[in-house]
Amino acid sequence: MQASNEVSDLVDHFFRNEFGKAVAVLTNKYGSDMLELAEDAVQEALYKAMQTWPFQALPDNPTGWIIRVANNKILDHLRRKDKVTYQDQVPELNEEELNPTEEEFKDDMVKMMFACCNPKLSSEYQLILTLKILGGLSIKEMASALLKKEETIAKSYTRAKKKFREENLKLELPKNKEINTRLGHVLKVIYLLFNEGYKSTNHDQLIRKDLCLDAIRLCQLLEENETTNTAATRSLLALMCFHSSRFDARQDEDGKIVPLENQDRTKWTHEFIDRGNAYLSSVSDEHSQNEYFLQAAISGIHCNAKHFNETRWDIILHLYDQLLNINPNPIIALNRLVTYEKVYGAEKALVELKTIESEPSLQRNYLLPAIKSELLASMKMYTEAKAQLEQAIELTANPSEKEFLKVKLITFDKHNLTKTQ
Amino acid sequence: MKQFLYLFRGGDNNFDNQSPEQMQAHMARWGEWMLQISKNEQPVPGLPLQKDGKVVQQSGEIITDGPYMEGKEMVGGYVLVEANDLDHAVELSKGCPIFEVGGTVEVREAVEM
Repeated sequence: MQASNEVSDLVDHFFRNEFGKAVAVLTNKYGSDMLELAEDAVQEALYKAMQTWPFQALPDNPTGWIIRVANNKILDHLRRKDKVTYQDQVPELNEEELNPTEEEFKDDMVKMMFACCNPKLSSEYQLILTLKILGGLSIKEMASALLKKEETIAKSYTRAKKKFREENLKLELPKNKEINTRLGHVLKVIYLLFNEGYKSTNHDQLIRKDLCLDAIRLCQLLEENETTNTAATRSLLALMCFHSSRFDARQDEDGKIVPLENQDRTKWTHEFIDRGNAYLSSVSDEHSQNEYFLQAAISGIHCNAKHFNETRWDIILHLYDQLLNINPNPIIALNRLVTYEKVYGAEKALVELKTIESEPSLQRNYLLPAIKSELLASMKMYTEAKAQLEQAIELTANPSEKEFLKVKLITFDKHNLTKTQ
Repeated sequence: MKQFLYLFRGGDNNFDNQSPEQMQAHMARWGEWMLQISKNEQPVPGLPLQKDGKVVQQSGEIITDGPYMEGKEMVGGYVLVEANDLDHAVELSKGCPIFEVGGTVEVREAVEM
């Protein structure tokens, strides 16, 4: 007999990952109108595992155990509901279907991703369904990760499921013509998921990091699938890996933001950087003109620079130009200016800024005054810089961001003081 | 060494609200505790029990469904543990994760034969 503490040796997030797998497999077998039933059944199966597994050695095939138990719960429910007495009226799963291979799991998960990220659903619903079903998060955990109220999430999850049922979303891969557009939607949700986790905040770091890792895990499923392993998929994977490598370095012990310039680069996770490099170099030149690739390339240059002052700003600027070319987005233009200043100096950057500062979408964005303030400060125009910074502080809602900008404000005050003395 | 029976009562809280992550963590703590109370790094003998059952009386003259007692009194499982004395057995029971979910452990010493 094996030691019973095996249950404490299960890999991290085993239940959470199994939840997504089992729901995908069962929904695939019984149809998407059975999504809710499948979810409840898997939840019950995990609960039963929790109650019974500590009393014995682990089942030989824990995944198979969970699916079998959940499947029996579904059958029980269907028989009760339809007063079905004969077994053959209920779709039975055969032994093989109850023990899917790793390949089949992955296949079902990818199909489920496409169903959850169907453009017939709002992007909010897509995100919530993906998080709940494939990520195995509870309503409470989702609320904490997305910084929303529990009841808000609960309500919108109920509505999302209803819509999922009404639209009768099939668990299948889109046909050839559609695949790229549909894959685009899936990737967008994954990136959204990642960003939700990555947004710097003092709020529950652990669950937010999990969110990022989940996004990477899901994207990796796409990468392992022949149909969905595209340049865009690998580029997004690279981008998320590069970002994740800085997870531990971008906040200090007190949760304060550490800007890229001051980050301790030895704290960057090199495993992630290596993975990012590998994914990125697997994308051929002809496919490199996608947004994820260009962003990943920018992030990669930062990650691969030993010191801040060894950063190849010229290459980054070139990448930003390409990025703007395929997506003329004012936020990207604003970020490009930071690089522009490194290459051409603050004075020229300020002139560039004038061309975009009237953009309506930037008017309430704290980045505009924050960057403007930076430029003015490097031109030693501290009074003007201070005014811009104050505006930025007012516009940002994120507490650690606010804190970060306030610290800066103090240094400007010091400069102003020395100037007047 | 004396033999003790731990009866786990209640603690069957609303699992709809528990996330897979929480369930796994709770299960892991059960596993750790089961090992702590064991003498030989083997699981202590015991079983979890189903809610439903029958109560048989008078040689089967009366058979009722049940025992439907209140949730917090319902026995959900048991284990057999070796301990020096009742105090020691009580001490060992203190780490039981059932307390996290509002359950109780009833510690009973077996009569020596």
